[in-house]
Amino acid sequence: MTADGSPTTTPPAIEMHDLGHAYDADLVLRNVDLRIEAGEVFGFLGHNGAGKTTAVNILTTLITPTSGTARVHGFDVVSQRREVTSMIGYLPSEVRMYPHMTARENLEFFAKLSGVADARSAVNRTFEYLDCGDLADRRVGSFSTGMRQRIGIAQAIVHEPRVLFLDEPTAGLDPVGVRQLRATILRLNDELGMTVFMNTHLLSEVAKVCTTIGVLDHGELIYKDTIEATTARFPDETSLEDIYVRMESVPT
Amino acid sequence: MTDLSTAPLDRIDEPVADGRMIDSARSRILTLARHEYRTAVRSRILVALLAIVITITAISVYIGSVDHRSKLADYEAYKAAARAGGITQIAPSLLAPLSLLRGSFEYLEIIGAVIAITLGYLTVSRERSNRTLALIRSRPVSAGEQASGSLLGALGVISTLIGVTAVVGVVCVGVIGNDWINAAQAFELLLAYLAAIVYMGVFYCVGAIATANTRIAANGLMIALAVWLIVVLILPQLGDTLDADNQLPGGLFSAIGLDRAGETTILAHFSAYENTRIGIEELSFAKHFERFAFAMTEVQDKYRGFSLGQLLNEKRNDIAWLLLYPTVAMLWLLRSFRRQPAIAPTS
Amino acid sequence: MIVTIARHQILALRRQRTFVMLLATLLVMTAFAGVLGWSSHRTILGVYDESVKLLASQGEPAPENPFRLKPTLSLLSNMVVYIPFIGALLAILLGHVSLADDETNGVGRLVFSRQITRSSYVIGKIIGAAVVLLAILGAGFVVSYLSLWIVNGVVPTMTDSGRLAVFYLLSWLYLMVFALIGMATVLLTRRRSLALLSAMGAWLVITFVLPQITSGLRPTQSLNPITDPVSTSQAFFRVTSHARSFSIVEQYKQMSGRVLETTTATSNLTTGVGVLAAFAVVLAIATIVLVQRHDYSTGTSSD
Repeated sequence: MTADGSPTTTPPAIEMHDLGHAYDADLVLRNVDLRIEAGEVFGFLGHNGAGKTTAVNILTTLITPTSGTARVHGFDVVSQRREVTSMIGYLPSEVRMYPHMTARENLEFFAKLSGVADARSAVNRTFEYLDCGDLADRRVGSFSTGMRQRIGIAQAIVHEPRVLFLDEPTAGLDPVGVRQLRATILRLNDELGMTVFMNTHLLSEVAKVCTTIGVLDHGELIYKDTIEATTARFPDETSLEDIYVRMESVPT
Repeated sequence: MTDLSTAPLDRIDEPVADGRMIDSARSRILTLARHEYRTAVRSRILVALLAIVITITAISVYIGSVDHRSKLADYEAYKAAARAGGITQIAPSLLAPLSLLRGSFEYLEIIGAVIAITLGYLTVSRERSNRTLALIRSRPVSAGEQASGSLLGALGVISTLIGVTAVVGVVCVGVIGNDWINAAQAFELLLAYLAAIVYMGVFYCVGAIATANTRIAANGLMIALAVWLIVVLILPQLGDTLDADNQLPGGLFSAIGLDRAGETTILAHFSAYENTRIGIEELSFAKHFERFAFAMTEVQDKYRGFSLGQLLNEKRNDIAWLLLYPTVAMLWLLRSFRRQPAIAPTS
Repeated sequence: MIVTIARHQILALRRQRTFVMLLATLLVMTAFAGVLGWSSHRTILGVYDESVKLLASQGEPAPENPFRLKPTLSLLSNMVVYIPFIGALLAILLGHVSLADDETNGVGRLVFSRQITRSSYVIGKIIGAAVVLLAILGAGFVVSYLSLWIVNGVVPTMTDSGRLAVFYLLSWLYLMVFALIGMATVLLTRRRSLALLSAMGAWLVITFVLPQITSGLRPTQSLNPITDPVSTSQAFFRVTSHARSFSIVEQYKQMSGRVLETTTATSNLTTGVGVLAAFAVVLAIATIVLVQRHDYSTGTSSD
């Protein structure tokens, strides 16, 4: 570590060490050790209530873990919150944004909060990049789920974060919307080198988008490996869904 | 399609070694303030309440101004007749144009406080219902910056309301009452309206604090309105009801035939009762605002003829409360924003 | 069906913490009104006695005691203010939660996919609210009766008890208007907060704005059961005073003052009750129509 707390060697994009969290007496995350390198697209799987969203909330500094540590590019999510938040983008599940404001107004607001000096230009570039300029000057309250999701992604990337957190990004999307989301994630990773951390239930998408997956079961990380290695490990299973169903008994 | 990576962003700042980013903190606070202001003016219910206050202010000032105009004409006629008769010692006018704004201040006291509470409630509930609190807090925005920005924006909204109300009132007094206020009166009126901004600012904090500290936002609104009910209506009402002089229309002591000196002599025998009554009134922040505003606007005729320095000295107790309440409210607001969870508990 | 809805409504209200707190506030203030009446009456008599002594020492004659024959029930004069303030807000809240909770929880789809008509549903809700209000004011009657007896040491006569009962029945009718306002506003908007604030806005206009427009009463004058006479000679009032009959808060205060003998107002009780009843009936019909037209097919409404 240097004097300012930054690491001397290249740290992983995301690192959890013995991470745990409890809501009152309910332990939802237990001793999670996880390392995700820069440039990966990581799919975080698990049943409802497994602790996936809690993990994302810790990494995005929204809650403080009750035990263990978590770092983003070497910066601690608790003691170096400002550094962490300046390099992440976050799309929570079911985001609605400000319905009485236009998409442009929403994005400019969030861009400024992220420290972008020329918010207007950044927002215009983002609209172009995501090909949703037609939504720019319409009020978000009139948007469908798919449109809101696209603007949601826009606010998450307008400040060009190094790490993008997506919590159930495909929820409520139709097949066309899912396909567009997939293409966007792949572009962000491929062209900008953005690390993507994605909670999802849609295993078919995980197979097409992610480079690495992890499986959480009742707060414990029970599996983590690349997609290729996972497919090779379970040669008899024809889909990731079948593999996932078998995973609960497989040690990491 | 645009390649984001070829056009690097100009950031306002980069993370610095010592963690301080003063300039960007200012930028974030101003961004939040502008956002608060813009959202407020697009809220239908807020605009409706503002319209009610401005309209009824105009009506109440109009009613008083019409009466004032005829009394002023009578006084001018008296002066003309006195001069024509060679009288040099002319009795000063007992008319106080600023006192025509009494109704305006009473509406700010009652309805203005509800507007401010609504603003505070909306600040917090909006982020919850739009699920945008996580989007704000996952950015380098501290709870203190969020509280400061929101409060600053709200004060902007409140100042706009009060500014419009002030202009409407002064113009009504001048045009309808035919009595334009002078520079000294304008300054006293300015102080009264500044007190109104502080007063409403405190109720904004009440609305935001109550909402931030309840799981269901609507319950927070009800709690804030209950506080309003007690502070603005019940406590002053108790103080007024217990006032001996208010037991008869036109005043008890007048009906008995006692002047001010006599009233003071009699009430000295009931000091415990009077102290209890005054103590109840002292608990009400609304009463302190009212007393200060009424002194500045010559509503209470015992203050007519006082210089500004004398007025401020007389009202030093109320001024102290007008400074203490907002200080406490702001600290509590900051604490509430810090403690407010960014997300609902989930697994 | 109607009875089922009404019973469910009463049960749900008993578990609403905010509602229970406001109810407790009203009952405490009702008891306090008796204490206030006793305290101020005792003090005023003392003030009069001291004034007589002071005037006598100055060689002045003793003035007539304006409080010698104060009617018993006038000790509760503050209730005439507490009902339009605390009572009306309680009634708005009651009406609001009656319908808003179902909206928030999205149970409309569960209710109307069963054999119940919209009219039955809303009439059951109105009856539930009416019964709850009646029970609250019944409790208020008991508290007032006891406070007159205990605090003032005066047992109310049959006539006084009858007047007190009439006062609380009048209050029930007045508060039903606000309960219905609380219900109707829920049906006019999807947002719960907007509904509550709209109902509050209506209350502010009725309680403070209308009396200013029709009778020149400033807001703080509305807070005191005893108001100084206000000049209404301007041309403005020659027009607006015609609307005084529709200022239900003034109608209520005048009727209450007459029933409790706290004022010498000679308002026509029949006309006043008629105006209040008309408001209540119109609002009830409006609420029923709004429920008929409301879209219950969507999920939860927003806060």
